[in-house]
Amino acid sequence: MMGRFIIRRLAVGGIQLFVLIIAVFLLIRLLPADPVARFVGLNASPEAYAAAKSNLGLDQSIPKQLGDFLGVTGGDGLLQGSLGRSWVTGDAVAAEVARALPVTLELLTYSFLLACIIGVPLGVLGAVRPGGAADKGTLVFGLFAGSQPEFSWAIMFIFVFFVVLGIAPGPLGRLSPLTDPPTAITGFMTIDGLLAGRPGVTAEAVRYLSLPVLTQAFILSGPIIKMVRQNMAEALQADFVLYARAAGLPERQVALSALHAAFAPSMTLIGVLYGFMLGGAVLIESVFSLGGIGQYAIRSILAFDYPAIQGVVLIISAISLIVYLLIDILHAALDPRAAL
Amino acid sequence: MQMQFHYVSRLLVTVPWIAISVACGPIAPDRPSEATLIYLAEDVPAGLDYDGPAAALPTSQTGMVNLMEPLIGYAYGDENEDGVALPDFETFAPRLSESWRYNEARRSWVFKLREGVFSCAGNELTADDVVYTFARGKSVSGAIPVGWFLASTAGVSGFDASVFEDEAARVIGDAVRRVDRYTVEIRVSGRNALFLPIMTTYGMLIFDSKETQKHATDDDPWAHDYVNNVTAPGFGPYCLERWAKNDMFVMRANENYYRGAPALKRVVIKRIPQSSNRFILVKSGEADMAERLTPREFSALADVDGARVAGVVGNETLFLHMNFKTPPFDNLKFREAIARALPTEKIIRNGYFGEARAWRGVTPSTYPGFVDALDEDYYDPDAARRLLAEAGFPEGEGLRGFQESLRLAYVAEKEATLGPIATMLQTALREIGVPVELDPIPLTQYGDRQLVKKDLPFALNDQEKPVVVDAGYALSLFFASPDAGGINNMVNVADPSVDAAALAAASLPAGEERAARIADGQRRLAEIVAWAPVVEYRTQWAVRDHVSGLTWHPDNAVRFADLEIAR
Repeated sequence: MMGRFIIRRLAVGGIQLFVLIIAVFLLIRLLPADPVARFVGLNASPEAYAAAKSNLGLDQSIPKQLGDFLGVTGGDGLLQGSLGRSWVTGDAVAAEVARALPVTLELLTYSFLLACIIGVPLGVLGAVRPGGAADKGTLVFGLFAGSQPEFSWAIMFIFVFFVVLGIAPGPLGRLSPLTDPPTAITGFMTIDGLLAGRPGVTAEAVRYLSLPVLTQAFILSGPIIKMVRQNMAEALQADFVLYARAAGLPERQVALSALHAAFAPSMTLIGVLYGFMLGGAVLIESVFSLGGIGQYAIRSILAFDYPAIQGVVLIISAISLIVYLLIDILHAALDPRAAL
Repeated sequence: MQMQFHYVSRLLVTVPWIAISVACGPIAPDRPSEATLIYLAEDVPAGLDYDGPAAALPTSQTGMVNLMEPLIGYAYGDENEDGVALPDFETFAPRLSESWRYNEARRSWVFKLREGVFSCAGNELTADDVVYTFARGKSVSGAIPVGWFLASTAGVSGFDASVFEDEAARVIGDAVRRVDRYTVEIRVSGRNALFLPIMTTYGMLIFDSKETQKHATDDDPWAHDYVNNVTAPGFGPYCLERWAKNDMFVMRANENYYRGAPALKRVVIKRIPQSSNRFILVKSGEADMAERLTPREFSALADVDGARVAGVVGNETLFLHMNFKTPPFDNLKFREAIARALPTEKIIRNGYFGEARAWRGVTPSTYPGFVDALDEDYYDPDAARRLLAEAGFPEGEGLRGFQESLRLAYVAEKEATLGPIATMLQTALREIGVPVELDPIPLTQYGDRQLVKKDLPFALNDQEKPVVVDAGYALSLFFASPDAGGINNMVNVADPSVDAAALAAASLPAGEERAARIADGQRRLAEIVAWAPVVEYRTQWAVRDHVSGLTWHPDNAVRFADLEIAR
């Protein structure tokens, strides 16, 4: 049953992705500007403009451009695994995405881990002892973390930890500019440092990541605490908990059973949040000069770099679909009714 | 399997070490002993091919001019009060070429190249490199034909529009030919005053042809892909060490550089997109230099120990763009009313924190041939009200019907700098009765409407820098009508006197007659209020005190080989 469920979800995901690709391809061509002007610059003659337009393929009809993008007109396209070349850099979009994406994934993965390590126990505590000190504390923390936008916290953290206290590195990216990065294997600087036998680089990467991860985790832990607390509170009101208590099970075991029930909806929301943050971490990336996929997307949109926009949308959508699929599988494993 | 074990064992050994190192290690690594400079920029070069897609981006040009060299440059003149050496635009200086002369009989320029100039790849400069560079430009094989355009403007023979129609016309032929190993001849259509200024620009940098040709392929015979994405082989002071697009650009000194190995052995250009971060990183000493801070941040840096602001009034200007084809801007009195209502002094004081000066012309005042065409007391709100009434809009009556035209566009990405200034202008214009609304739009959309559609009615513009240092070139570029060869006539001026002046600028040799015609053209442009000039603002850098030797160039790119660092 699980196999059919996964196949069904993959098929639906594939159709969603294809429709999205076509929609994005067509929609960006409705943007209110011709991108050629940006590339030719100030000193372009009409001949230079025409040559540039031809080089970008924009002198072709829309169906022809779509065919080229998909790879059904003879050249390399999506079907051949090519996302095209960026109009800004001339580099392959796939290579650029492969450089930018791990930066965001590394930031988000550590941030979510930290946020869950903080948020899940606090949420559980708040639900188990409603009105207690932990519950009140987490309520205040949740309100505090959500009271300002993330870039505002980021700037404040830089000011406090870098400028005033001097205990964190400046917002210079993933490593000091003076450090040669290790060869990219996973794209995660913290792991690649180890794989290259350069633990000093990993230590440095951890230091440079500490402030952005702290900021992102601080923001994320608020909703995670709320979600876990609410789901846990609902689970504690369920009949099986009443029965467990009536049967005389210890409170700790009751709480664990309730947590199992609360886990599935919480995981779903955390997964949705992860997918959303793939593109939404752009402000943290920007403030800490991290050069992740969010910044790449913004740069591409502002430059009307069609191949890059198409590539970013495709990759982020594909990852979101995979994350959602994993959550659904996990959900189905925890609660087999979901796979029906 | 063995590889996996290798990684796992490494992991087990190093994790505890890392934990200790993170907890107890230094916040940032120590500076290396060799002279290294960390330069913070909005972006790093996106491409290094000046015929490539990133040629128009200033950061890309910074990469090109530090890796490659032109045939000639400008001599350095005096230093200004900030210690920045300024070019003397009246004097050309030898660079890759040690001498040059015009041959009237053959209508050609003959360049004698330096001997013993070596590239990063170890190849010696010869006439073949110059021929290759021009041949590459004429091939119009890159994404954007910048080399062709500049050579065409310089009047180099055969660089005309036929190359876009006829493949045979793309061959260099004898337009640029090797005379001997170190001598090259460039044939021209006549003694064009723009020829030498154009030879100094980034679009005329000379390639190391041997190294470039090594990376040519059947699909890409001029190696655009390699030059754009790997490195630009040239004879410049630096060699590319590492380049991560959108992140970092690292150059190492070319120890064979013909003007002597640069004092700075390593330059790290790091992308820091937020100007506030660039500010605090220079302030804290983690970086040595930064560009493109906001005027407020530059101003704040003046009080910081160990850092300073160095700058120059070079060629960056701010003006109001009013489209001649869009009512009510088709009305001269109306344009003049707007121009006279602009609170220049207030903008200098509050928009640029004093780091600008009033601009009274249509070309940068530092360029040869500039004419100061406006009165000192041009700002006059009472005169503006009178002119507004004469234009048919007393106290702004009747302007409500032009709401779309009166939306003041500016580049949204420059909000931090232009936003406050646009608000000051809006207030000043509303005071005389002109109901202006602000309209920030993305740079690409702005560029499209300015350069291609030419339909922006009203805009605040701070980004026009004529790459060729010549008032006549600026005149032709911005104000000649399309019939007279105008390319970026964004406000659609069509004036026979201006066209005649532009034609004279493009065709006459340097001399009194040409200068007089260009001056006439500029005065005419002031009369018809082609642009409403506001200020010339300083091009500035945030610099730590231990950095010296800054020089300014019209492309506004730092020449790192001129810098010295003393720790």
